[in-house]
Amino acid sequence: MSDLARPIEQAGLTDEGRSRLLIGHLARLVLGLVFLLAGVAKAVDPAEFAHEIEGYGLVGPGLSAIAAPLLIAVEMTLGVALLLAFAVPAMAILSSAMILGFLGLKTYSLAAGRTDPCGCFGAYLQTSPGWGIVIDLGFLLAALLAFWGSRRRQGGSGRPALLALAGAGLASLGLALASPYLPLDSLVTRLTPGRTLRDLGIEGKVPGDGARLVALLDLTDPKSGETAALLDAFTSTPGAPTVLALTPSSEEEKSAFTWSANPTFEIQHVDRPILKPLYRRLPRFFLVISGKVAAVYDGAPPAASDLISSEAP
Amino acid sequence: MRSAAVIPVAALLLAAPLLATPARAGEIVCRPDYDYSVEVDGYYPHGACFYKGDVHGKWFIDIPENKSGLMLDLTAKKIFAVPRDRVSTVANGSLTVKDDLPPGGTAYAFAIEGPTIQFQADGKQVRILPCLQRPPIDGPTTIAALEDDRPEYREGIRAYKPDPASMDILSKYGKPVEIEAFFATWCPHCKVYMPKLLRAIKDANNSKIKLNLVGCPKGFGSQAGPWQGKNVTSVPTIIVRVDGREITRMGAHEGAVPEEELAGILKAVH
Repeated sequence: MSDLARPIEQAGLTDEGRSRLLIGHLARLVLGLVFLLAGVAKAVDPAEFAHEIEGYGLVGPGLSAIAAPLLIAVEMTLGVALLLAFAVPAMAILSSAMILGFLGLKTYSLAAGRTDPCGCFGAYLQTSPGWGIVIDLGFLLAALLAFWGSRRRQGGSGRPALLALAGAGLASLGLALASPYLPLDSLVTRLTPGRTLRDLGIEGKVPGDGARLVALLDLTDPKSGETAALLDAFTSTPGAPTVLALTPSSEEEKSAFTWSANPTFEIQHVDRPILKPLYRRLPRFFLVISGKVAAVYDGAPPAASDLISSEAP
Repeated sequence: MRSAAVIPVAALLLAAPLLATPARAGEIVCRPDYDYSVEVDGYYPHGACFYKGDVHGKWFIDIPENKSGLMLDLTAKKIFAVPRDRVSTVANGSLTVKDDLPPGGTAYAFAIEGPTIQFQADGKQVRILPCLQRPPIDGPTTIAALEDDRPEYREGIRAYKPDPASMDILSKYGKPVEIEAFFATWCPHCKVYMPKLLRAIKDANNSKIKLNLVGCPKGFGSQAGPWQGKNVTSVPTIIVRVDGREITRMGAHEGAVPEEELAGILKAVH
């Protein structure tokens, strides 16, 4: 019988011992699931997690980009280890250390006046640093309970378990590295056909009447000039929908872009926390008709001829 | 069904010339763009304004002390001097500029440095820069001084329409209220939020509500100033005190309606 499948012996335990074991099991499963889900949520957009790490101001963009997939892999592997009851006391201690690390970062961030979402569950489930601390305290309690409720030799620790864990680690790292190139945008972002401007949180930024092609642009991207040229060509086509660009770039970056690219379309700044749930990578484009998303385009705008209504004069 | 929809559209098209008076050929309608400031020889002349034209790539710069207006043409990559008699004022501070300039007029080259455009005209060094990049107001100020010095705040205050129900509460509130507002002229969120709050306080016209307005420089956290010892870590931070006791702090957030928030706070303390 493999280590993983070995039942945990409960013979000779008192009622109190059984309760302790049960609480330990529950805490371990909850914590394992949370780590796994939080890891997957981050893995679908590792660039955003790297941005969050950089936002704490302790490491630069280069180190953040390396640390992000590694941390994601560690978190997911820890989750798998806890779910498989692999070396539970050691994993509970490791989890506690990791949660304490996150808690320290968030406390430091809050003390420095940072109010951006903490990025604990990726960009698509956002919590403030304050709530992040409360949630982490809950997870720390779960880790301590998992340790308290574990038995010294609990769970698998043999070769198959180690192999399973190594496999989970490699798969997690692979997912974190490959996900930007996987077609996951419609699954992990809020921007999908049928959503209203209110659903997207940009009501008031984009007029709800008529048809509009909305471009989500990073104005600091060296290729943004080329995108602007494509959009200029789009707007010059008679009968094509009006183009409106939304950008998380700053007012200064918007000005610099305006003077250098001389775009024919209007550009509006929208705070990054509002815009981020709509994309993983920029540029992204979507067609809005009467306040609803009719179509989404990744990477490049559609051809204007495809969007001209056959009933248009 | 379809013809029923066509009738109002056709009526609207026929009525359009009556509803709006579009610029004639060669005329550009230019609307003030308060997101930019006009700096002349290191100063910000009163009344100097940057306008966005309704023609792609054209912007107008009005410096009252200059004998000509200036048309920035991004496509031609030049700035053209426009005689004053070709510029006329229309509603809401907008201008119409006759753009069919005769050949051989004065033109200037300009340079783009990131978000800034700079050039020399009439022997003066002119810079068009985002208003957030102007040297900040540092220390205590007043609504009147802010309106006088910063067009983006003046126009924001003028344009905002506070919620009447909230204003009713603010104007009749009887307890002494002190609002200490820390803001920064370099902060984009303050530019949106503060004019709303200031308009509300101004319109409330309640002698019981006292405002202390404090401008913060960049990196104010590490500098001496009125913000020290008050745990002000971000701007805007609005400290609300009733009867001398701090009740709460307000700040900018998406869709903030400061008069509603303030009225709600004061109502709860009533």
